[in-house]
Amino acid sequence: MATATATAPGPRVRARRWFAGFASRETWAAFAFLSPWLFGFVVFTAGPMIASLILSFTDYSVIQTTHNVGWDNYNRLVHDPKVTTAMKTTLIYTAMVVPAHVVFSLGLAMVLARVGRAAGFFRTAFYLPVMTPAVAVGVLYLLMFNGDYGLINAGLHFFGIHGPYWTTDPNWVKPSLVIMHLWKVGASVVILLAALMAVPTYLYEASAMDGASKWRRFRDVTLPMISPAIFFIVIINTIAALQTFDEVYTAFFNASTPYGTDASLFYVIYLFQEAFVNFHMGYASALAWGLFLVIAVITAIQVIGSRRFVYYEGNKR
Amino acid sequence: MTAPQGPLTATGEGVGLPVPPIPPAVPPAGRWYQFPSAAGVVGRTAYLALLTFLTAIFIYPFLWAVSASLKPREEVFDNRLIPKHWHPSNYLDIFRGIPDIATGVPFGRWFFNSIYIGILAALTVTISSAIVAFAFAYFRFPLRNFFFGCVLATMMLPGAVTMIPVYLIWNKLHLTGTQYPLWASNLFASAFYVFLLRQFFLGIPRELFEAARMDGDNYWTMFWRIAMPLAKPALIVTAVFEFKSSWTDLIKPLIYLRDDNQFTIPRGLYNLLGVLGPSAGGHGDYQIVIAGTVLATLPMIVIFFLGQRYFIEGIATQGRKG
Amino acid sequence: MQGWRRSLAFTSLIAALGVLAFTATLASAHSTTKKAGTLNIMGFGTGDDVAESRAAIATAAVGGDVKRPSGAFNDQQFLAAVASGNPPDLVYLDRQKVGTYAAKGAFQPLTSCISSQKINTKQYRIPALNEITYKRKIYGIPEFYDVRTILVDNNVLDMAGVKLSGLDTSNWPKLLATAKKLVKIDSSGKVTRIGFDPKIPEFFPLWAKANGVDILSKDGLTPHLNDPKAVAALAYAVSLVNAQGGWDKFKSFRDTWDFFGANNEIAADQVGAFPMEQWYYNVLAGSSPKVKITALQFRNKKRQPINYETGSAWAIPKGSKNPAAACTWMKTMTSTSTWLAAAKNRASIRKAKNQPYTGISTGNAVADQAIYKQTYTSINPYFDQAVKKVLEVQRFSFNVPASPASAEFKQAWNDAINRVLAGQQTPKQALDQAQKESVAAIKTATK
Repeated sequence: MATATATAPGPRVRARRWFAGFASRETWAAFAFLSPWLFGFVVFTAGPMIASLILSFTDYSVIQTTHNVGWDNYNRLVHDPKVTTAMKTTLIYTAMVVPAHVVFSLGLAMVLARVGRAAGFFRTAFYLPVMTPAVAVGVLYLLMFNGDYGLINAGLHFFGIHGPYWTTDPNWVKPSLVIMHLWKVGASVVILLAALMAVPTYLYEASAMDGASKWRRFRDVTLPMISPAIFFIVIINTIAALQTFDEVYTAFFNASTPYGTDASLFYVIYLFQEAFVNFHMGYASALAWGLFLVIAVITAIQVIGSRRFVYYEGNKR
Repeated sequence: MTAPQGPLTATGEGVGLPVPPIPPAVPPAGRWYQFPSAAGVVGRTAYLALLTFLTAIFIYPFLWAVSASLKPREEVFDNRLIPKHWHPSNYLDIFRGIPDIATGVPFGRWFFNSIYIGILAALTVTISSAIVAFAFAYFRFPLRNFFFGCVLATMMLPGAVTMIPVYLIWNKLHLTGTQYPLWASNLFASAFYVFLLRQFFLGIPRELFEAARMDGDNYWTMFWRIAMPLAKPALIVTAVFEFKSSWTDLIKPLIYLRDDNQFTIPRGLYNLLGVLGPSAGGHGDYQIVIAGTVLATLPMIVIFFLGQRYFIEGIATQGRKG
Repeated sequence: MQGWRRSLAFTSLIAALGVLAFTATLASAHSTTKKAGTLNIMGFGTGDDVAESRAAIATAAVGGDVKRPSGAFNDQQFLAAVASGNPPDLVYLDRQKVGTYAAKGAFQPLTSCISSQKINTKQYRIPALNEITYKRKIYGIPEFYDVRTILVDNNVLDMAGVKLSGLDTSNWPKLLATAKKLVKIDSSGKVTRIGFDPKIPEFFPLWAKANGVDILSKDGLTPHLNDPKAVAALAYAVSLVNAQGGWDKFKSFRDTWDFFGANNEIAADQVGAFPMEQWYYNVLAGSSPKVKITALQFRNKKRQPINYETGSAWAIPKGSKNPAAACTWMKTMTSTSTWLAAAKNRASIRKAKNQPYTGISTGNAVADQAIYKQTYTSINPYFDQAVKKVLEVQRFSFNVPASPASAEFKQAWNDAINRVLAGQQTPKQALDQAQKESVAAIKTATK
């Protein structure tokens, strides 16, 4: 890399360099590499996204003729009590599930990292719930979290704790969904496992020689070295948690268990109902873009926060 | 001891996103991973107990499903892990149907469909995402951060509202009613994997590429001969994850496929669920649906088991190669 | 890897991809051009013997070319098809959905179909027809007629020393007392036997009607959810639940029932009585034929039997390319002779396998009578009585009218009742809110 110059280049120089960038061979090569994505992005992604943005200003219902309604949908969104409830539920759930997910998957990865021969079996075992289709997990949810007769409370009873009514008590529905979600940390465990194994061992040896305790080794060596992977998982899972749909829908909103309450009304579930059950596609599109804004803001905050908490060796990013 | 090559992320600046480190050039002494050793027998027993307990919790749903799939109809939900009466003919009933209650379904055909669609989806997305991810990782060009922001943004809009517009696009191409929409959009890379693979590529020391270029490689050969082999673990993860995603997807087959012979397994099971439901006159023969579910999960288990071994070993080998 | 090996691997990979893609092409290549005269049906895939035997007759009537991809009706699938200008020719779906689709113009009125094919609408049960009539036009042909009777476990009554007359739904205080006598709660507070399950939120329309109010006006445009009588009905039903352990414990226990198994809640004496759809008698007869049950009719406060019915319907989407064939299909599937043939077929199958047969509830009044007379053979006194009772209550049925916002309406009262059960609102507060929401929804839908 070029050494730092005595004075930073002025704006005109920078602008000229930026435009010059378009002409360089590297740029052409880059765009050549990008071309598959660019094409698909424009046709299959940007196109539909823009379409849904336009639709959010209409009363599109698929079946009837569409009319422009201006800002009506967004107006309704801001005043809709269900939106407030749904957003609150989703945000609280996200705040609970992401830390739980990270801590639990990291813990599992650390346990797994020590396994010797039968490692493959255990890794597959932890990934198993991710592969099991939702049908089985949904059925089991009601069975395991049953307040009086379920396995979870039976286990808690063993320790003398009187477990709550997970599925019916509004205060405990979200925690129960968090616990059910933790079944599916398999993918994160795989990624964290790779990161853990890539930590250079000489760092551990060095810190051991310096007399550091196990906890300090973890805090000062392991965590910073895998912080990039942890951060990746935080970003991905936050975006996913804010869009939670499948698990909750199977448990609370499918036809045979119509017991969804405000405590389990997640944002995307409300969106889905508005889109496909009530035929308010235009409003659903407005809801989607509202969520997009929230996700974008939260992700941006996380990225900015990463500059302080995520460590890159060589301090280059 | 030379300084580790580690993640010299020359091109990672800008968006400020993380980079999982690539194993160091210097092979660590002894075993290929090393943690501070556990303290004695007590520690080791406690550790094993914890591991067993956790494993039991995680595999319980699957064990329950396997056990339910081997029970006769009346006992499916009796909560016993070992069936009171064994009824393995459930698996045959999927194919031949229960006389007079439901006709047999072409499960074998669905299986085959799921497999090759899964393979196509996984292969296309891995290769295309790798190409795109490499562009973001290695090259410097104007608007790079803007485009990467676009990549991220595509993950932030709930799919429910783009579903109909995307369907209309496929419709214009006269490809609804075929299996193409289930995998063909993977030819154009997928945001999640572009993100993941970009991180991996960022960890490859730039010096390696410079050396290759000086040897006369063009950009493509450089990518294919240097970057790809080094990112093999990440590529395998991508392939396995996408295969699983395609294998378990229900919504795309639901809206794009029209003929029973085109179905994938989740789509077929959805149908079975409707047919065997009680109000249609059936008795609620869930044991057949669950047997189908178990059959559907088995290939995934095999693929993951093989894939994860390759992937972990890949990390280990890199550590040794340096 | 060495150079040539690498190239070889690369080439094989590309070749393999090519082969796969080619196979995919072959497998997917389906002539998407519809042949003239094909009948594309959505929502009616391969089903049980009753469905298939009738489908065979109908297919023959239509001239043979029928496409029925499997799977129940799915809104997303239907909407996607409509959006692309390619709706199916005929759909099969829940009757309660028809009103909304009709109001949005997704279905065609069947007036011309009925007159040109001379479909005798008088043979269908009036509530079923009402459910699919919107603004005085019929939009569907009904199939199946799920009625509700009270299923009583005789054993439990005997054990608790309660007489059948105690389960009279026209006398609410008495019913509450009976439920309290029948319920069993153990020392730790867990419910071990439910006395009388009111089945809310599902059967709320039944309770409201029992108290003398329709939750939705006949034209489907005015909800009456917060009518004082409806509020009282909800309050009573909730009081039943609260007297039997409260919602948490009540539902926890109910979730443990092995509903379809041999050790179901009747065989295991886990419940005294509860209102249930008639198809459950069929399930019981198959899984636990030895149970001693009685079927009672649900009565309103004036002691008149009432009954809340639901079912499926055939409808023709707008833009259907083959409405004539669709019409013929609908007519054939629901005609008396077809139903009778299916019933005879099922009766003989069940007899051959020594399994009980409890008749079919078709929605076609003429067919119902014929089926009962000609195909029903006695099982045992208990099930015989139940089957007869099911037939009796059919003419006392009422329906929830078709509405342009039926899903939102149902959601509103469903959510309201769940809120009350969870202890978050009183019945009046909850139903006031539901009323407000439904009124707004219907207003938006009819703009």
